[in-house]
Amino acid sequence: MHSDRLPRSGVYDNLRSFASTYETFQAAATVLALWLILCPVALPQDQSSLALIREGQQALQADDFARAASYFERARQLASENLEVNRGLLLSYLQLGRLDEAQSIGQAAVVRWPKDAQLQHWLGLVYFKKAQNPTALTWLQRSENLDSTQYDVHFDLALVLLSDATYSQAASELEKAIKLDPKAALAHVLLGRTYQNTNRTVQAIEQFQLALRLDPRISLGHYHLGFAYASLGRNQEAIGEYEKELQHSVNSPAVLYQLGHCQLEAGDGRSAIEHLQRAAELDPKNPDAPYDLGKALLLQGETQDALLWLRRAVELRPANPSPHYQLARALQKTGKKEEGEQELATFVALKKAQPATGGMAAGAVP
Amino acid sequence: MRKLSWLKLASAALGMAATVLLPSFVLPQSTVSKVASAFGSSSRAQEPSSTSRIFFADITRAAGIEFHLTCGGPEKLYILESICGGVAVFDYDADGWMDIFLVNGSTLEDLKAGKCHPGKLYHNNHDGTFTDVTAKSGINHCGWGFGVAVGDYDNDGKEDLYITYLDGAVLYHNNGDGTFIDVTAKAGVGNAGHWGTSAAFGDYDNDGYLDLYVANYVDLDLNHLPEFGQGPFCQYRGIPVSCGPRGLKGGRDRLYHNNGDGTFTDVTEKLKIDPNSYYGLGVLWLDYDLDGCLDLYVANDSTPSMLYHGDCKGGFTEVGIEAGVAYSADGREQAGMGIDSADYDNDGWPDIAKANFSDDTNNLFHNDHSGEFTDLAGPANFGPVSIPFLGFGVKFLDLDNDGWKDVFVANGHVNPQVDQHSFGVTYAERPLLFRNLKNGKFEEIGRQAGASMARHYVARGAASADFFNDGSEDLLVSVLDDSPLLLRNKTAPTGHWLRIKTIGVHSNRDGFGSRVELKAGGLTQTTEVRANSSFESASDPRVHFGLGQATQADSIVIRWPSGTVDRLGPQAADQEIVVEEGKGVVAKLDATTPKPIPIKLGPPRSKRLPR
Repeated sequence: MHSDRLPRSGVYDNLRSFASTYETFQAAATVLALWLILCPVALPQDQSSLALIREGQQALQADDFARAASYFERARQLASENLEVNRGLLLSYLQLGRLDEAQSIGQAAVVRWPKDAQLQHWLGLVYFKKAQNPTALTWLQRSENLDSTQYDVHFDLALVLLSDATYSQAASELEKAIKLDPKAALAHVLLGRTYQNTNRTVQAIEQFQLALRLDPRISLGHYHLGFAYASLGRNQEAIGEYEKELQHSVNSPAVLYQLGHCQLEAGDGRSAIEHLQRAAELDPKNPDAPYDLGKALLLQGETQDALLWLRRAVELRPANPSPHYQLARALQKTGKKEEGEQELATFVALKKAQPATGGMAAGAVP
Repeated sequence: MRKLSWLKLASAALGMAATVLLPSFVLPQSTVSKVASAFGSSSRAQEPSSTSRIFFADITRAAGIEFHLTCGGPEKLYILESICGGVAVFDYDADGWMDIFLVNGSTLEDLKAGKCHPGKLYHNNHDGTFTDVTAKSGINHCGWGFGVAVGDYDNDGKEDLYITYLDGAVLYHNNGDGTFIDVTAKAGVGNAGHWGTSAAFGDYDNDGYLDLYVANYVDLDLNHLPEFGQGPFCQYRGIPVSCGPRGLKGGRDRLYHNNGDGTFTDVTEKLKIDPNSYYGLGVLWLDYDLDGCLDLYVANDSTPSMLYHGDCKGGFTEVGIEAGVAYSADGREQAGMGIDSADYDNDGWPDIAKANFSDDTNNLFHNDHSGEFTDLAGPANFGPVSIPFLGFGVKFLDLDNDGWKDVFVANGHVNPQVDQHSFGVTYAERPLLFRNLKNGKFEEIGRQAGASMARHYVARGAASADFFNDGSEDLLVSVLDDSPLLLRNKTAPTGHWLRIKTIGVHSNRDGFGSRVELKAGGLTQTTEVRANSSFESASDPRVHFGLGQATQADSIVIRWPSGTVDRLGPQAADQEIVVEEGKGVVAKLDATTPKPIPIKLGPPRSKRLPR
């Protein structure tokens, strides 16, 4: 940290501190109180602006961003050149989704305080939310260059990179973040996911397991671990993990689908139907659940219901050959030869129109 | 959980939660679908038995097998360096004991320099050892070999050998005196200019003479090989590897019709075989619809596999898609390698196993008795376990003679580069050994079947045989750039058994394509006579039945390709019987007194009754 820089400040940092240490709000309040006593802004020329800043920070602490914005806006009228005012306002607007205003404040602030890593970090997040990832990356990387010791910057960089499916770079940022905070369970989950998406399945499993040791209830930890197991054909282990995840995410269509899918792969059609049906009901637009549900029903000999769901899968994904193929086979099995032949013809036509994906080249990165 | 709540807050505020925190993996390929009635109502279903300890011992060196399979360099820069490994088990001297032929490959440098890596022929000494008799045999073609097929194409009672090479193939006629002679040119089966992989003899028109199918893989120009790692089809999981087969020109398979006079006619074009020149790797003759005429299944790499339905008039219709064996259950192309067929659920209909690339499941195509198959790999516990494994050779065999076919799969990746990454996939892999639980399901028991099964190999070809005539089915497996494995089945205790050698008269001499139905202990088993299946390999053509606790086979029915039906009465267990078409049992071999079988070979029949 630069010597001429103000001490780390604001609710964001305190939250970051909480996040890193999993301590309580009370601990953060202590830190905040110390900061309020010690930091240079404790000696403002204008006691009114100081009070407004303090109120704004407390509002941020309480996740009341509208109130925080109100305090910081008033403070800005009194002390527009105050760094903390600009930080607070930028963060408040960011959290409120008032992105154009956040961008305006942030752009001016980074010109005024070009070496403030936090402003550049948050401005990057503004662009991230505006789906302007290249610009977001620019600002986040500038922030990282100014201060590479901040867990959050690496983590947020990883989020942007993950959203761009730039997995290798995301992994690099998450590895840096984890070095700074080895106990950050969610970072391990995300790192595991980047490994999985770059086919480093063994390492992915290690990360998911580590995350779950750090926080047994970490969101999607069991889910991702289950997926990694399934990708290695370890279906029973995968099913176990999905079932654990389901305890935390009872109505998650994604978890229900993967559990049902895995049970179907493992030949447990009855259980698969239960979970796939729930997944299909919870997320009616997802074509995978009705497709697998149709297959599972066929497995159980419930051909009429299978046809209904396979037809639904075809409706949802008409350009995908697989539902047509499965529907064609189901129709053939139920004696509807003519319709089956039509579906098969559709399947063949779609296959011809699309590059082949299976086979020896199937190991391409997803 | 504060970290999480902040992240939720931040992510929600950023509107990126769905993008970043929720998964967007590519879903695993589904492979499972079936109709419910396949197993549920089987009156023959018994409780799974696990009293036998399945065990294999590596006796390669003790048996005197000293062979190194050369197949390119260690880095496998080119696709041809990855798929050598044909093995053949056959009784070349008709002494009743299974001998061995091992196909060898080469390297690019040696091939160009004319340096040979000969295959080897081993004679079975009847005492657990083998003798290298290659020098005398005359099997000396110098080339880059891949696959091998066995069959008595001229019905003279002596098994002939067909070997595929990078550039063509060689048919060796067995002279009956331990020597072979190259008759390729005369026979017209040279497969000139093509890189053949698996080949198989089968009499598709039931004229009494074995025809020949050759799977061709890629038409390669050795002077312009695709550069390692350069191009869209030279990647595996994002790392550079050898190129292909996608992006390379496929080689069109060949079907040669046996004219009955020592020559063949190429009927590929006439019968519209492999018109798209798919990348052929596995070949299997079978009669999947029990109409008495051979059909043909061809496993292709990265392209649809083909099922040719024989019309009993010498013609074929390709029905792979309609029958459900062209693609995965999800309609995706697979990288089919080895294939084999057996009636694993004893319902009287032949099923098919196919080994595939890693990241995909192997197939267990259950015969639905309607001309269609359903891949039951998932429900049968056969598929998901195979996902990290790249399968090549695959064989059905009865490991413990309980009357239910088990499965062996030889595995090994094609890209050694995978070992530099943590994909969860390795170059050398252990084989998979599936024990049939008699209820439509299998249990993978490879790790418990002895050290030789638990070790990792880059395995390719695989053949089964009773090398010791002791009633146990053993295994022969080729290993890339290494010694083969002769794995002796030492499972104990095992059930009783019965082995049948078929001699055709009006049918082809080997009796290939005959359907044998055996009843014993309340169980009916059916199988077809064949030698050529798996990957680039040929197995013991004698039909092996496990009888479980039954001390005799109550009845045996053999339906020959000619239409002749031989019905045999009770036959004692634990012996080999030789059955000649129309005559019944003509010789027996008692396992307790293993001697060469005094098989009386009839004279060659140049003229046969056309069917």
